[in-house]
Amino acid sequence: MKRQLTGLSILVLFLFSLPVYAGVPLNTTQVNVNKVLDVLRDPQLKSESAKETKKQKLRSIYKGMFNEIEFSKRTLARNWDKLNAAQQKEFIELFEQVLEKTYIDKILSYTNEKIDFYKENIKSENLAEVQTKVITSSKEIPIFYRLILKDGGWKVYDVVVENVSLVQNYRTQFNDILAKNTPEKLLEILRKKVKEQ
Amino acid sequence: MKFFLCLILVYTFLTMGCVRSPNSNSSTLSPSTKSSTPPAVVTAASNSEQVNLPPREKEIKSESKSADDENFDEDEAAGEKAQIADPIEPFNRAMYHFNDKLYFWALKPIAQGYNMVVPEVARISVKNFFSNLRFPGRFVSCLLQADFSGAAGEFGRFTINTVWGIGGLLDPSSNKELDLQKQDTDLGQTLGVYGVGQGFYIVWPILGPSSPRDSVDVVGDYFLYPVSYINPWYASIGVRGYEEVNGTSLRIGDYESLKDAAIDPYIALRDAYVQYRLKKVEQRRLKLAPSKPEEKNVPSGDSVSQKN
Repeated sequence: MKRQLTGLSILVLFLFSLPVYAGVPLNTTQVNVNKVLDVLRDPQLKSESAKETKKQKLRSIYKGMFNEIEFSKRTLARNWDKLNAAQQKEFIELFEQVLEKTYIDKILSYTNEKIDFYKENIKSENLAEVQTKVITSSKEIPIFYRLILKDGGWKVYDVVVENVSLVQNYRTQFNDILAKNTPEKLLEILRKKVKEQ
Repeated sequence: MKFFLCLILVYTFLTMGCVRSPNSNSSTLSPSTKSSTPPAVVTAASNSEQVNLPPREKEIKSESKSADDENFDEDEAAGEKAQIADPIEPFNRAMYHFNDKLYFWALKPIAQGYNMVVPEVARISVKNFFSNLRFPGRFVSCLLQADFSGAAGEFGRFTINTVWGIGGLLDPSSNKELDLQKQDTDLGQTLGVYGVGQGFYIVWPILGPSSPRDSVDVVGDYFLYPVSYINPWYASIGVRGYEEVNGTSLRIGDYESLKDAAIDPYIALRDAYVQYRLKKVEQRRLKLAPSKPEEKNVPSGDSVSQKN
C-alpha cells in the first residue's frame, strides 16, 4: 500500500512538474500575444471609432509584455552611459513612441493570420528566446521574441523578425548617429521623428 | 562569356582578403575585427570609419565588469559579427535613393495596379512558377555544399512540381504527405558556408543591397536561371520585370514599414541586409553540421527550409 502510494505520488509529481518545465517564457509570450489577438478580434471594437480604445488596451498589454528600459539600454549599449539620467528617461519615452507609432497600424491591420508558437530556447538562467511564426496565405514570417527574467517575470527585450533583430538594427543606427553627434542631437532627431509620424 | 569569367576572377580576388575561420567564436572579437579591416583601411578618411572604430576600442578595454555588461558584450559580439565595411558609402547612399525612388514611383504603383486585377491565388501560383524555374541554382548550390540530400530533395521537388504542379504553378511537394521543402540556398550563401566573408557593402542600382560575395549570384543567375536564355534579350528582361512586379505585389508594405521604423533608413536597410544574410549562412552551416554543440541555440534545419 505504502509502495503504491509512493509510486502514485511520484507519478503525480511528474505529471505536475512537466508542464511547468515545458516553458515559462513560451507560455508568458503566448498569453500576452493571445491577449493582443483578443483585443484585435473583439467584435465590439470593430468599428472605426473604437480605434482609440483598442490602442489604449494594446498599450497596457505592451507595458506588461515588454521591458522598455532593457530595450532602450540594449539599443544604446555602450552609448547608454553617455546620456545623463534625464536624457535616458527622455530617450526611453521617445523611443517607445517611435516604435508605437510605427507598428500600431501594422498590428491593427491584423486579419486572422495564424500564429504558431513552436520552440523555446533557454539561453541562460535569465535569458530565453521564443520562436514563433506568423502564417499568412502566401508565406510564413518567423518572429522570435527574446526575453529576460527580471523581478520574477519574463519580459521581452528584443524582437527578431525574419532573422533581423530590432535591437541590433536600431543599435547600428544610433551608433552611427552618436559617432558624429552628441546625445542631445540624437534626442532631437527622435523628437522630430515622433512629431512627423 | 569571357567577360563573365573575368568578373568571377575579380570577385574571387576581392573577397579573398575576407576569408575568416568558420568557427570563429563570438566571445573572441578579433577574427571578425580583422576580417573587416582590410577594406576599411583604404578609406580611413571617410566618415563611416569613425562609426565602427570607437566602440570597438572600448569593448576591448572593458572586457567584462558586471552581469549587465556581460549581456551587452554578448549582444555587441553578435552585432560585431553583423557589421560590414562601407567604404563606398556616398555611392551606396546615392544608389539607395535611386532604388527608393524606383520603388515608390514605378514598381509600387505598377504592383498595386496588378494587385487589383489579379487575385492573390494567381499571384502566388506565378511566384511558385518562377521559384520552380530557379531550381538549377539551388540544385547546384546544394551540390557545391556537398549537401546531397538537399540536392536530391530539390530534384524531387522540381520533378513533382513540374509534372503534378502544372509546370510549377502549384507546390504539391511541400504539403504534409511529401514534405519536400525548398532548399533556401544560393551561391553567395555557398561561399559563405565555406568561410568567405561579405567583403564590403554595395548597393546595386535596381538589384539593391549586396556585397562582392553575394554578387556572385548575379553571375550565377546568368548561367543557371533559364529566363536568362530567353531570346531576344529584352524579352528576358521583360520576364524578369514581370517576376519582380508579381513578387512585389505580394509584399507591398514590407519595405515601407522598415523605412518608417528607421531613424536612418539607409543604415537600417544595410544592417537588416547584413543580419539577414549572416543568419542564412549560419543556418545553412548548421544544417550541414548539425552535431556542432556550441550553436545549439539556432533553430533546427527544417525551420530554415520552410521559410518563404
